Amino acid sequence: MTMIDAHVHIGKSTRLQIDVDGEMLVRWADELGFDRICCTDLTALFYDMHEGNRLLYEQMKAFPDRILGYASLSSIRFGQAALDELERCRQDYGMRGLKIYSTPDMSIAEPAMLPILEKCVSLEFPILAHTTPQECEYLLGHVPEAKLIMAHAGGQPFAKGDWNRAIIAAQRFENLYLDTATSTIDAGFLEACVAALGPERIAFGTDTPLLDPWPQLTKIVETRIPPADLDLILGGNILRLMGLRR
Amino acid sequence: MILDINAFIGKWPYWPVVENGLDYGCDRAAICSTRSVFVNWEDGNRETARACREDGRLLPFACLGTLELSHGRAARDYDFGAYAAQGFRGIRLYPQHHTYHPLYQAWVDQVLEEARARGWPVLLPLRIIMNWGMPLLDLGVIETLVKRHPAVTWILAGINYFHELQLATTLLLQNPNVHIETSCIMGFDAIAKLVEQCGSGQILFGTGAPIQHGRANLEKILRAKISGADRDAILGANACHLLALD
Repeated sequence: MTMIDAHVHIGKSTRLQIDVDGEMLVRWADELGFDRICCTDLTALFYDMHEGNRLLYEQMKAFPDRILGYASLSSIRFGQAALDELERCRQDYGMRGLKIYSTPDMSIAEPAMLPILEKCVSLEFPILAHTTPQECEYLLGHVPEAKLIMAHAGGQPFAKGDWNRAIIAAQRFENLYLDTATSTIDAGFLEACVAALGPERIAFGTDTPLLDPWPQLTKIVETRIPPADLDLILGGNILRLMGLRR
Repeated sequence: MILDINAFIGKWPYWPVVENGLDYGCDRAAICSTRSVFVNWEDGNRETARACREDGRLLPFACLGTLELSHGRAARDYDFGAYAAQGFRGIRLYPQHHTYHPLYQAWVDQVLEEARARGWPVLLPLRIIMNWGMPLLDLGVIETLVKRHPAVTWILAGINYFHELQLATTLLLQNPNVHIETSCIMGFDAIAKLVEQCGSGQILFGTGAPIQHGRANLEKILRAKISGADRDAILGANACHLLALD
């Protein structure tokens, strides 16, 4: 079984009290038994997309077999520059997806996000989006062919922890996937996701180094989910979305 | 011995829960019924007492609320003697679910002083489980209440991260009667950091099971980078001491 953590942060953020590089992340991944980790750079996500994505690229070069990169955008308000950055991240840096953050005050559920979604479709980028179920419905309602992964599956403050609502949204949109990284460890969460959506639309993530990865992993493997389904959730799905083989 | 200081019996009103009993790996569990939280605290306590009579591994905590119901003045007092006779070992308060302000209700002070006199720990949750949809108690209220009753044996529950953990840590360092349970602590390396800051003597293993994933919460302690002695203290020895168990 190939184990891939689809939700990892790298770099620095005083707000999130994080300062971590690839070496530390790979060491932790070794302890957990993860083959690869999908990283987003915090500088790119919250400050400067060019600087942060370049920093991530350096870390990807240092650990080419372990670190997969998400391009990150700090905002949807940079127009063509953001689209060019995504192109650069794909062609020059070899990144395999987009990570983007949304808050109630700076929601990505607005028209300015639609060209970014369309660009991701053309680049075959899955989009790990820190969004609410309602935001996902808006985005996929406009660009249904985008592959959207709802970061935290509703288990984040802006979505009020409502993973049941996340499942309902995913039932409506076949290209909506759920990320398992949440500070919520409600019993029955994964079973409910699999029962409603099947195992193909769930991607395992930990949100390292914000969250403790051990309960994040345990809440997936210590369930009544069949091994073949776990194989997809723990790595197969994110590899497929990123167009990679095991 | 592994003792879960924050477990439940009863139904969960918001979504289906996978029942596993104590199969997540603990030997004993301090419980209260969710009926106490969501329906009627006295009825719930009767359920709690009954469950503990039927299963000697369970330890009853009484959930107390106001005696003034249906707009009537309280015509009786709390019967602590009856609770003691039934083997209750501690008290839980859920003001955010019982529609009272704990700083402005005289009965709360009465209950806390009675708990102090009897040596019963008082579990006070910031949130019932780590789900962003659950109502929160104000951090300032917790601090004020703890400082108003410094001789009470406090168990601060439902603490997650950042400012919440900073308040709890401050109170732990100020007052040896203050303890923290671990069911909602989800941050990276948070347990090890807490031990480093406060020692292990005031940390109690808790899960929120069966509503939360018990095994995931246990794994968090088992994998924490702490000494074996600290781990043993957190997993059970501290709680045994507080509850006067062998």
